[in-house]
Amino acid sequence: MLLHDLRLALRSFKRTPILTVLMVTAIAAGIGAAMITITLYHARAGHPIWWKEDKLFAVALDNRGSDHKGEELQKHPEYPPNTLSYRDAKALYASRIPTHAVRMYQTYRTLDPGRAGIKPFGVQGRVMTADFFTMFDVPMKYGTGWNRAADEAPEPVVVIGKRLNEKLFDGANSVGKSVTLSAKQFRVIGVVDSWMPTPKFYDVNAAFGIAEDFYLPFGWAEALQLPPAGVGCVTPDAKVNSFVDLLTADCNMLQYWVELPTRESVDRFRQFVDNYTVDEKRHGRFVRAPNNRVLNVTDWLALNDVIGDESRVQVGLAAMFLGVCILNTLGLMLAKFLGAAHVTGLRRALGASRKHIIRQHLTEVVVVGLVGGMVGIVFAWLGLWAIRVLTFIPGPNDSPDRLVMAQSLSHMDLRMLGLALLISMVTGIVAGLYPAWRIGRAAPATFLKT
Amino acid sequence: MEIRHMLSALWRNRTGPILIAVQIAIALTVLVNVAYVVEQRLETYTRPTGLDIDNIFWISTNGFRSDYNHAAAVEADLQWLNSIPGVIAAADTISIPQTYSGYGLPFSASPDERAPREGARVMVMTARGIETLGVELASGRTFSPDAVTPPQADGIGQLGKWAPEVVVSQALADAVFPKKDALGKTLYVGLVNQSAKIVGIIKNLQVAPVVGPFSKFASQVVIVPGVPPGPNASYMVRTQPGRQAEVMAKVDKEMADREPSRYIAFTQTLAKTSSDTKGWIRSSSIILGAVAILVLAVTAIGIFGLAAFNVATRTRQIGTRRAVGARKFHILRYFFVENWLVTTSGVAIGCVAALALGVQMSRMIQLPRLPLYYLAGGTLFVWLLGLAAVWIPARRAAAISPAVATRTV
Repeated sequence: MLLHDLRLALRSFKRTPILTVLMVTAIAAGIGAAMITITLYHARAGHPIWWKEDKLFAVALDNRGSDHKGEELQKHPEYPPNTLSYRDAKALYASRIPTHAVRMYQTYRTLDPGRAGIKPFGVQGRVMTADFFTMFDVPMKYGTGWNRAADEAPEPVVVIGKRLNEKLFDGANSVGKSVTLSAKQFRVIGVVDSWMPTPKFYDVNAAFGIAEDFYLPFGWAEALQLPPAGVGCVTPDAKVNSFVDLLTADCNMLQYWVELPTRESVDRFRQFVDNYTVDEKRHGRFVRAPNNRVLNVTDWLALNDVIGDESRVQVGLAAMFLGVCILNTLGLMLAKFLGAAHVTGLRRALGASRKHIIRQHLTEVVVVGLVGGMVGIVFAWLGLWAIRVLTFIPGPNDSPDRLVMAQSLSHMDLRMLGLALLISMVTGIVAGLYPAWRIGRAAPATFLKT
Repeated sequence: MEIRHMLSALWRNRTGPILIAVQIAIALTVLVNVAYVVEQRLETYTRPTGLDIDNIFWISTNGFRSDYNHAAAVEADLQWLNSIPGVIAAADTISIPQTYSGYGLPFSASPDERAPREGARVMVMTARGIETLGVELASGRTFSPDAVTPPQADGIGQLGKWAPEVVVSQALADAVFPKKDALGKTLYVGLVNQSAKIVGIIKNLQVAPVVGPFSKFASQVVIVPGVPPGPNASYMVRTQPGRQAEVMAKVDKEMADREPSRYIAFTQTLAKTSSDTKGWIRSSSIILGAVAILVLAVTAIGIFGLAAFNVATRTRQIGTRRAVGARKFHILRYFFVENWLVTTSGVAIGCVAALALGVQMSRMIQLPRLPLYYLAGGTLFVWLLGLAAVWIPARRAAAISPAVATRTV
């Protein structure tokens, strides 16, 4: 029966090749555009550590002065800054409520391979407390991270990323080897395996940046006066003339994360944070109404709008486009079916049931939908490739990782392929249901007379 | 004319025309809003930078050994770079214009912490910095070479290091001194408790292609004389027109060996840097534009398809009309007017939808409200598109011979 319907559909396509090509192209273009934008959106909307959704929490405090400049330009001036000042992070770190806590920031160093033939190069890394590796389930290829004592000392140890390990040590076990960062030697104690959380939830200001080359114990922040990648001073009386000032002023620069085992500990920690800011208020800080946040990864990514309106706008536009394509196919399909109504009339007169006619026409539109969907997937693939090429042309000062990032952002996985097929089926059915019903409903006699 | 008959004919077979009208409404909505967003972005993309952008390249160096002496290295490098034939001027700068990297500080006309402040990008530059940028001074003079301060230990130390005189962009001067009397005034620097006298005002200098509500920061700049802190240095080199490649080749060949305690990370033309920085504007405009063009194309195909279908099914009627005296022109006119009616009803819905989406978009991506002339332009375009799409089917209809009426199928 299905085979018969398919054969009829094929005959119908042969009868009107141009119309068929137009319909397939319209559906393909609609699905292609939708899949491109959904793929980009999907990558940005990821939750790279979903299994710790009820355990990991980011902390934000509102230490802004009463008339902080520039916030009127922000989309959500009511949101607190998403980084903490050095002194607040230090104070929160004293709390024993979280089972783990990490304070950290991104920094840059120059790496001297100390080998002929390889020029020194810039590397980006993170200076942070020991719990980072445990909290974020960082996969280790060799060795381990450090303990809290190494943060205090600080010990001259470093954990390096897989890519840097490949560049310096050809991917071999480099634990115990030494690495020179801006003229200071560190001993490698661990190598991180392939790891690139997308988005990089723990540092939303570099949400689509690449994974770090190196990780240093937090004590080196002060000891080496490591410059943070981004600083925002938020009170009018903040004065910064030296690195030491940066550690005491209301200049926000650290990400702060805690691991809280139970709901009860979450409440207790929230209370602790609120108490802390109320205390500080007595010392003339935290002049605004309490506006602290302790948020899980989902809420944190939402608060910081990691997805971005740009990709929302693109998905919206593509959806409208797909809508136009469906309407278009619907119109063409209707025209086509009605154009061939005399054949249908003849089939009805010869005994084909109304149900049968509807099914036959539905088969035809589903075939158009599926073929359109497959061509659409090819379109989407080409489009994503074009976006990669257009957006991420690596320059001489670019690490190749930007390309890696671009690839992961514009990668269409199996789930996306499945979604594409689903959309194409639904598109075909939505576009074909009315025309098939309409042609099935018509009385055979209307079409038989000339 | 036979508009009433036309309307009743349209109503009898209403599904097709309604589908087309809805498509036109969506197409207009998309077209108008995309055109507006892309236009806004391209304005940023093509805005004059104020720089002699085609004749500047830059070199990024980095000291990596403990015996690296930043102050001495920068002095020697600049002396060498400025002595190369074909070089107009070279200077070390703390941040490269046309990139997003760099830092800003708040500025005001008064030392009072509560006084209104304006943010601006700070560029610390060595002597001849203004000449190297190739910017035009609106008034005043460039800073004196004697004002250049020695390098500080690190970037944070540099924040508070201010020479007695600075050069600012017109945009910042006007923002801080609305009476337009900035030249010779004292500029107060928030966060670091410093001040400096404004000795020169640059007509235009775009430091970064910023779009949206923060776009004013694209052109608010303060240039401070000073040697930026080490261990990295960014030398901008402005050459005489046509000599860039030659100078770059010489730098690539000779510069690294002049000082082994630092390495050359890369050299790049400023034009390339600027183009890379603007890459996202280009690609997002292409994506948006491509979707709009596709929507229009598919809609045009829809109009074409419907008209062609109508002509095909009405062949005998048209033949009959021709046989009873209608001229080709009447047939053409019939199809054009019928199509125009459908298009216009779509346009009417589309205008309302476009405005609604415009309000939503201006809130989402923080743009000023959609101007109404975009709607007028969009409407005109969609009308023309409709006429173009119906052209071939209408011609075919007009070509139907009156003899058809006498035949049976």
